[in-house]
Amino acid sequence: MTPSKLVFKSLTRRKGRFVFTLLGIMIGMASFVTFMALGGSLKSQIERESAALGANLVVTPKGSCAYEQVSILTGEQLPTNITKDEVAAIRSIEGMQAIPYLAERSAIENRPVSVMGILPNETRAFKSWTLAQGNYFPEESADGAVLGSVLAEQFGLTPGSDVRIRGVQIKVLGVLDETGGKDDLTVFLSLPVAQKIYEQKDLVSYVAVRVDRLDEVELYANKIKDKVSLGVVSDKQMRSSVLSIVGTVNMTLQLIAAVAILAAAFGIVNTMMTATYERKREIGILQAMGATRNCVFRLFLFESGIYGLIGGIGGAVLGGLGAVFATPYISQNAATSFVKGSQSSLDPAMFVGAILFSTLVAMIAGLYPAIKASKLSPVEAISYE
Amino acid sequence: MNNPIISAKGLVKQYGQGATLVKALRGVDLEIPRGSFTCIIGPSGHGKSTLMHLLGGLDHPTGGSVFIDGEDMSQLDNKKLASLRAKKIGFVFQFFNLLQSLTAKENIETALMLAGVPHKEQDKRAKELLQMVGLAEKAEAKPGQLSGGQQQRVAIARALANDPPVLLMDEPTGNLDSEAEAEVMKVLANLKRQGKTIVFVTHSNDIAAKADNLISVHDGQIQLPQEFKKAS
Repeated sequence: MTPSKLVFKSLTRRKGRFVFTLLGIMIGMASFVTFMALGGSLKSQIERESAALGANLVVTPKGSCAYEQVSILTGEQLPTNITKDEVAAIRSIEGMQAIPYLAERSAIENRPVSVMGILPNETRAFKSWTLAQGNYFPEESADGAVLGSVLAEQFGLTPGSDVRIRGVQIKVLGVLDETGGKDDLTVFLSLPVAQKIYEQKDLVSYVAVRVDRLDEVELYANKIKDKVSLGVVSDKQMRSSVLSIVGTVNMTLQLIAAVAILAAAFGIVNTMMTATYERKREIGILQAMGATRNCVFRLFLFESGIYGLIGGIGGAVLGGLGAVFATPYISQNAATSFVKGSQSSLDPAMFVGAILFSTLVAMIAGLYPAIKASKLSPVEAISYE
Repeated sequence: MNNPIISAKGLVKQYGQGATLVKALRGVDLEIPRGSFTCIIGPSGHGKSTLMHLLGGLDHPTGGSVFIDGEDMSQLDNKKLASLRAKKIGFVFQFFNLLQSLTAKENIETALMLAGVPHKEQDKRAKELLQMVGLAEKAEAKPGQLSGGQQQRVAIARALANDPPVLLMDEPTGNLDSEAEAEVMKVLANLKRQGKTIVFVTHSNDIAAKADNLISVHDGQIQLPQEFKKAS
């Protein structure tokens, strides 16, 4: 006999209670791990999108807030009130490259997709895109669409297929190579065609700017502000602002998961308190056999810890699976659309941390019942019926 | 009495206070000879079990002292008392008190574990003990699969796990039929031959008649301490 075997035998004596208590902690930990994994995924995806944007500065409509900044990274629809003249004024500044985008939304087979109006050749050079299938836009105002690789695969679209954007039938010209970012989930149209379909004549949503000298980003931001009355934000500011929003979202989700874990911890307290009362006589027998109070305390604490350990392992596995399977079904909105089509952030350290955390929480939850059990007098325990 | 293994002097045990004060023992002096079969008799509620609990170090006296092998148990803290119980005393209770989730062998192994016997040696020792009480073939049976007499013999084997010199038994045959009682008494007779000191709380005059030493408890006091000659 070993303490661990004795504890395991005690635990599994009431199988139903064991399983239900375990389920409580598993569900709590699974939600925690899922949210952590998705949160990690969001953060890494933001970093990727920010890098994929390829811009040092982004010019947005005046009064844009963090939501618009998130939308630029996610491909959400944006207000389109930057005029052709303003774009021309920005593009006239030397020492930098400015690429306008019209960010819109549409639906294919009732599923929302991003639609982006671009200047084909400049954008291709700006983003270093390569083609996987078909052809690229033959000219700046060409009809037709070029698709991101994941979107093409999702909807089974190939060059020559037709795609309906806002009721307009458009021929698919080609499919881009995978970029690992939101471009993989976007329908690209030439800017004039997109402006026509969305009735945004001569308007764009934002302008991405890449300056030639990185140490002069601030200088160019001021130059742009001097030329046009628009908002200018650096990629670092944008990333930090978006990460801050995502951090808040993550924190909220993790707090919800923490409440679930707390509820599970009280489930353990309840189970262990019941065990303490039910097994009073057993405690007395152990004491009569020479078990010290410390020994009884450790046995009960160990028992609680086992709930946390098994619940933590089960929860981590369930949570990991949840993150992997939930990722493709995350609804498209500015805060979570990063996750769609991306890999979940399944960090082994997070799993180990979650299991340790779960064990710790369970042991803390088991402290009070263990103290109660250890404080029973042998005579009181033996005499209990 | 020469070299008693257990002795008590002025042993007092009270529960509660004020109007609810219960004087369970009111100044008990006794000596239990080494290697004897001692019976504690007396009506229910007169302090037999309380006396046994104090003699076994399961409880602290309100006053007086209990000595085992010359060591004053009333001076020991809970940890030292637990250690003493593990080394010197084996308990057997009326209701067997086996751990229901464990097999007969595992019940004995648990006592061995608490006594610090290494895991590898536990199996052999537990089998030997079961053999000694005639239950070698029931090693893997759970308590629910054993008769009352068999359960009590497993409890005796468990009490002997650490080879203690003293066995304290609180009405161990109180729940057994005469056949099972005879099985248990046979085991105890063997143990006595091996030199164990057996303290046996009982209501049975037949068992009391077999005692070397009889202690009668009435109203928390020793009424008629007397030495018995064996009925045989």
